[in-house]
Amino acid sequence: MKRFWHVRELSTVAILVLEILFFGWYLWPDGNRAHPFLNAENALLILKYSSIYGIAAVGAAVVIISGGIDLAPGSIIALASVVCGVLFVDLGWGLGPSLLAALLVGVASGTLSAILIVAVKLPPFIATLGVMGMTRGLAFIITEGRYFDLSSKLSGGWRPLGLPADWVAPLVMIGLAIVFQILMTRFQWGRQIFAIGGNETAALFSGVAVGRIKTSVYLLSGLLAAVAGVVLALVQGQGKADLATGYELDIIASAVVGGASLSGGRGSVMGAVLGTLIFGVLRNALPQIPGATFYDRLIVGLAVIVIVVMDQLLLKRGE
Amino acid sequence: MPGLEFQDVRKSFGAVRALTGVTFSVREAEAHALVGENGAGKSTLLKILAGIVHPDGGELRWRDAPLSLSSPRDALERGIGMVYQEMLSFPNLSVTANIFAGRELTAAGGRLRDAEMEARTVALLDELHLRISPRATAESLPAAYRQLLQVARALAFECRILVLDEPTTALTDAEADHLFAVLAKLKARGVTLLYVSHRLPEVFRLCERITVLRDGAHAGTFDTSDVTQERIVRAMVGRDLPPRAAHAARGASAAPALTARGLTRRPYFRDVSLEVGAGEIVGLFGLVGSGRSELLETIFGLHKAQSGTIDVAGTRLRAHSPRQAARRGIALVPEERHRQGLFFNLTLRHNLMMPARTVAGDILIRDAEERKQCEQLMSEWRVKAPGPGALPDSLSGGNQQKVVLAKWLATSPRILMLDEPTKGVDVGAKFEIHEIIRRQAAKGLGCLVVSSDLPEILALCDRILVMREGRIQGELSGAAAGEESVMHLATSPLRDAS
Repeated sequence: MKRFWHVRELSTVAILVLEILFFGWYLWPDGNRAHPFLNAENALLILKYSSIYGIAAVGAAVVIISGGIDLAPGSIIALASVVCGVLFVDLGWGLGPSLLAALLVGVASGTLSAILIVAVKLPPFIATLGVMGMTRGLAFIITEGRYFDLSSKLSGGWRPLGLPADWVAPLVMIGLAIVFQILMTRFQWGRQIFAIGGNETAALFSGVAVGRIKTSVYLLSGLLAAVAGVVLALVQGQGKADLATGYELDIIASAVVGGASLSGGRGSVMGAVLGTLIFGVLRNALPQIPGATFYDRLIVGLAVIVIVVMDQLLLKRGE
Repeated sequence: MPGLEFQDVRKSFGAVRALTGVTFSVREAEAHALVGENGAGKSTLLKILAGIVHPDGGELRWRDAPLSLSSPRDALERGIGMVYQEMLSFPNLSVTANIFAGRELTAAGGRLRDAEMEARTVALLDELHLRISPRATAESLPAAYRQLLQVARALAFECRILVLDEPTTALTDAEADHLFAVLAKLKARGVTLLYVSHRLPEVFRLCERITVLRDGAHAGTFDTSDVTQERIVRAMVGRDLPPRAAHAARGASAAPALTARGLTRRPYFRDVSLEVGAGEIVGLFGLVGSGRSELLETIFGLHKAQSGTIDVAGTRLRAHSPRQAARRGIALVPEERHRQGLFFNLTLRHNLMMPARTVAGDILIRDAEERKQCEQLMSEWRVKAPGPGALPDSLSGGNQQKVVLAKWLATSPRILMLDEPTKGVDVGAKFEIHEIIRRQAAKGLGCLVVSSDLPEILALCDRILVMREGRIQGELSGAAAGEESVMHLATSPLRDAS
């Protein structure tokens, strides 16, 4: 199984590299001007904005591998940013407690999804669709049309743990991706998630505590979405109810592009994160091509189809 | 007269050579049996005939003309009907819709010609002596009728060759009789039958000739009239099976490994009390629907009993889940290995280690140790597979069953419950599985075996409990029991109506 995953992630890396090479070539500047795409500053920018998707995609990948689906991350991201904002800006809490409270809200949302799926036995699509609506609604209720300006309260030279603020998001994403990749491949917990996604009945018959594992999966997905939310609040310096609208589908698309199968039992956390980078590069580079601005959604949609079809063809060839 | 001919048909899947040049012919309008162990290549041959798989070499001929099948639809249109082992039906659709699925009769614009389809369905059902409504949904029908629905589906369109893959697996004797009567009629009408089955008595009853496949090659074609079942078995396994082990006269040992008292879960079973001693093999026989599988699943913690107690090695089993049951040493090898037993997305190693590692409460996966343990399990139980890294898909049914058995034996259980342990498994693997059960019992494992295969129960068990309509109807000692006495208990009216 190990070699199999390696191959799958390698193909995602290959697509990412090809993509970067293409834009590097296409956007090559005339004369001695600086390259508008291939420079360190732009790379950090791509990483910074992809991290929001990437952090949530870690959770989405785990959910999809378990055979489920989570539609709530987009709204949980917004709710977390709003909770963080209202506590930190309006109520004058410290930054630490505000972040912690936002994360707890994510955990609570994930727990609600888990209860609806495991105890009430709703299909994950329906349960998380409901939670998606409720969390987004809650964010609007809290803000009442306002938005919270965190940036003004964060001092300009804010350096968490002595690091430049721009590095926080990418580092959090990379750290979580590594931790969860290891949890999914080297730990019994991860193996049981693959088992449940592959054949839930057989998992039950094999003594796997299916309900408990599934609960942990949705809870973590909520938590990770909230992490993405607070990171977004810090990166953009604001908490707003209409942030991250429609992100849930982009996140699912990233996981699928990274090798996850929506029928469960297959996929990887690393692949999902790499998938978000593929889209991150697209979103960054396309607006720099004259006339392509309005094409980016179309191209992102096409890319999902093309990459997944290519992947399936490669898989068939490999058999 | 040459009917259907297979000429040097070859097919490989990756490195596995499923068919290595198979040549034989089926006469027109004869009933021809195809037998062989799991993994002998029968399924591949059938898939070629159904147009699902394309051969790498060789050809199929029908009435001296080459027959090349590009798709399942193509095969159907050329008059080849398939009746599969797993019942392929659309449970939510009506009988008529099932019969015409994919080949609906339509008028201009794609409008369905419902009345005509229904009329033809009624005629077909009549011909098959099936007293069911054409509007009934498939899921409302008993298993046998769903099987016959597939025959009807094949017959709805001009069918010259009818292929049946283990059609009686889910049928009772009476239902099988009905199927055979229908098949005999079809044969008389000139339909060529290719019949695949593990059940040799059926084959001898229905077919004129038998072709045996072994390891992807043709191992002989025999006239049923001048061959014995033993000869066929020898051709299938390529060796003589050792004589059946004599009944070891083990009494129930002093300490019962499993004790159930007054176990009730309506409407499936009520007031069931039983005891399985350490080292004892107890058979649980009953007709389909007598509550046997539900009883095993309840003991395993998949369902909650309404009343009654379960003790394992003298201590009460409380708060029930499969995980807790497994932790206390109860193992269940379920009936449907595809649905309940295996993870097809995971390698054999992960399949084999799942229960043991869950029971042990492991947190980390220890690769080296697991790999060693797996290789040991696979060689101990003679699982024929490329290695621990193989996927279960690449294994034959018998070997898959051994994997499910081995994954539970890896937990070192006290009680091993087996639900139809040799269902759909070939003769050789069946024998090996029986040996495994006996060897484990000799080491002190208590075994509770549910089976519809009466000879199996009689050969294997020290004690036989007979279940009927959710109650234990009687108990026989394995040495004293015969087919008649067991069947008598299983079918006679309940002793008391309370």
